Amino acid sequence: MVAYVLRRMVSTIAVMAMVGIFVFLLLRLAPGDPAAMIAGKSATAEMIAGIRETLGLNDPMPVQFIRWVRNMLGGDFGISIFSGRPVLELISQRLGPTLSLSILTMILSVSVGVSFGILAAWRTGGLVDRVLAAFSAFGYSVPVFVIGYFLIYFFAFRMHWLPVQGYVTIDGGIGPWFVHLVLPTVALSLGYIAFIARVTRASMLEVLSEDYMRTAAAKGASSYAMLFHHALKNAGVPILTVIGISFAYMIGGVVLTETVFNIPGIGRLVVDAINNRDYPIIQSVLILTSGLYVLINLTVDLAYTLIDPRIRY
Amino acid sequence: MAISRRDLIKVGLATGTALSIPSVLRAQMAPAEARTVRMVFGTGLTVFDPIYSTSYDAGNHGLAIYDMLFSPDSKFVPQPQMVGKWGVSEDKKTYTFELRDGLGWHDGTPVTAADCVASIRRWAQVNTGGQLLMERARDISKKDDRTFTIALKEPLGLLIDILASAGTPCLFIMREKDADRPATVQITANIGSGPFKFNEALAKPGASFTYDRNEKYVSRSESPDGWAGGKIVKVDRVIWDTISDQQTVIGALQAGEVDFVESPPLDLLSVIESDPNLELQILNKGGFDWYMRLNFLQKPFDNVKARQAMLHLVDQEAFMRVMSPDPKYGHTLTSIFGNNSSYSNDENTSWFKKGGDPEKARQLFKEAGYAGEKVVILAPTDWPEANNASQLLAGALREVGVNAELASSDWAGLVARRANKGPAEDGGWSIFITGSSAYADTDPISNVALAANGEKAFFGWPKNDEYEALRAKWADIETLEERKTLARDMQRLWWDFVGCVMLGQSVSPIARRKTLTGFLETPSLVPMWNLQKASA
Repeated sequence: MVAYVLRRMVSTIAVMAMVGIFVFLLLRLAPGDPAAMIAGKSATAEMIAGIRETLGLNDPMPVQFIRWVRNMLGGDFGISIFSGRPVLELISQRLGPTLSLSILTMILSVSVGVSFGILAAWRTGGLVDRVLAAFSAFGYSVPVFVIGYFLIYFFAFRMHWLPVQGYVTIDGGIGPWFVHLVLPTVALSLGYIAFIARVTRASMLEVLSEDYMRTAAAKGASSYAMLFHHALKNAGVPILTVIGISFAYMIGGVVLTETVFNIPGIGRLVVDAINNRDYPIIQSVLILTSGLYVLINLTVDLAYTLIDPRIRY
Repeated sequence: MAISRRDLIKVGLATGTALSIPSVLRAQMAPAEARTVRMVFGTGLTVFDPIYSTSYDAGNHGLAIYDMLFSPDSKFVPQPQMVGKWGVSEDKKTYTFELRDGLGWHDGTPVTAADCVASIRRWAQVNTGGQLLMERARDISKKDDRTFTIALKEPLGLLIDILASAGTPCLFIMREKDADRPATVQITANIGSGPFKFNEALAKPGASFTYDRNEKYVSRSESPDGWAGGKIVKVDRVIWDTISDQQTVIGALQAGEVDFVESPPLDLLSVIESDPNLELQILNKGGFDWYMRLNFLQKPFDNVKARQAMLHLVDQEAFMRVMSPDPKYGHTLTSIFGNNSSYSNDENTSWFKKGGDPEKARQLFKEAGYAGEKVVILAPTDWPEANNASQLLAGALREVGVNAELASSDWAGLVARRANKGPAEDGGWSIFITGSSAYADTDPISNVALAANGEKAFFGWPKNDEYEALRAKWADIETLEERKTLARDMQRLWWDFVGCVMLGQSVSPIARRKTLTGFLETPSLVPMWNLQKASA
């Protein structure tokens, strides 16, 4: 297993290097000039040229690339071209809101999605299954911003239960922190609940039709024991895979939810940086996100061994 | 797995508890404080140095934490602000300025004349008016800690107006050690001497920035008037919230989570008008003047006939309908000095015709020898007004037989491409739509869009030596009447060589909760002082 983990870690570094080269080239070749964005709409060409020179944007591309890689290997991810603040500081400030939202969303999505999937498989073809199938279709097809605006309208405007927007750090009190995350979590979870429920249902149905399940039933095992002790454990690998992919995707894919609910997370940081062509931020976030993505996948792969002893590395 | 009635009751109780949690928790949240104002400006603060950037966001930040030597009042007349006494020598070549009592930096040190000299020098690197000042200046130096002089090679009648200009970048006075940096290098400290102190500890980039009342600020005794007079802060704290989604901004305003929105979306103005707790208010009555820049260096607009064709083609009312749909806020515009300034005039505006004159435009394109060259319009997809206008323009051009092509990108892509002076086929361009505040259009010295000095001019690079000779006189004229005459002469020439093409004027209301009052009329940036907030 140790050798496997080491191999995967090496491949992680390779993936991050590829992402780095690709992102660097993409940004430099795409149209846009950070100096002009900083200088503003009324700036003269002379002013823009001065800022370009100061920022080193006139240096040849290979020089810029080597400088960036050398600094990054030394742990220096650079400073934001715009705010002048260290990129790692900006990322760490934004990580909290995104992780808070993602973790709450995963907790809600997994608990509800897996429960719905088990319920639908248990009552396959029945009313519960059909209702849950309709719910899943709804969750898949309605964009998160539509759900978001609806939730804001109903729970913030009509009922006055929850705030429209914003984020409060957990230092500001667990109550305000949680209250600000309720609506975004629900909005973001719907799609994931639908996804996880469908995969859980399909996986459970496959296991429930196995011979050993019939044997368990013939031995008089209770429905609870059949579903949770025998079926769910054996159906766990695909469910875990989906959960892992969902979580990794969510870290980089929460931008719409963050925008609608005005949560200052990683997604908004990247979108703002792209709009401004703030190269150091874009490059660093994408590198780190790719590393995180690979690490989550590795964690999921290792978790397989816990739920299925047949899997060995 | 039978479900008992007891189980159902348990589930019901749990559900009820869960639903009541939000209201319980919400009650724990601190209520909005009456002495804290939450404001949403522009697109969000990303650059903090108001000299390094001309953006209004940087300018609004600067107006809060820095102070100015002179400031324009509501009639745009310069009034002393940091300056206590000032005078000019008989030959009008030496100006002496003495700082008023009580000026101090947020770090506790006093403001000195050396700070002012360094700030003027830095600002003059990037401000067109400042550059003119440096051309004319023989010496700018401190006499003592509170006094400095500007000695000129020849008189500059516009000097005080230039120092007081509200066009970005404004002359905000910074500490000498900050102002010693080149203007193309961003300063790292946010320490000014203005009425608000920037709270670094509460800075949350991308979310909010906090400005605390500067308790040690010594205000002028005059009543507040525009940016001039007393800067009296009547709240303890202003929080600048960043909210990128327009729908969410208005939702937050309606819910009382923010008190002020600088630029409410045009399509949601009716929502604001119908809310009894909200009010729209116009602070900048001059508004924004929209125009298109034509590339003088490339075909077809290197030919004056083709540029004149564009003047006749434009139906300003149609453009205003797509840029500022409510007629209350959109108007036609024919003067290069804006609609409401002292210099607005109707000289040489016979090209203006209600509905435009496409036939005349077609004829002029023919006279220009237009032979189907590609006309590339740079359209910024993330600036709705300019993007809408670009699409309308492309349609109007095609109708008169011009081979118009839209090159859509975000604003960042547009600003990179507009620097290309080459032909459209080689990544160049023909037209882009932009604008400037009407206030800026009253100042042909500082406003680069009103220059016609070729390669040094704003993008499009118009060139007309006769006009430039007139523009150079602007700085030396002292009386309003003389300047009005000069304005007419300049405009006559401008519309002959067609330095740009006007699309109209729009005024944009701010949106506020009715509990927040005390906003001052302003030509561009929004002062945070003088605001008062009543309990909701």
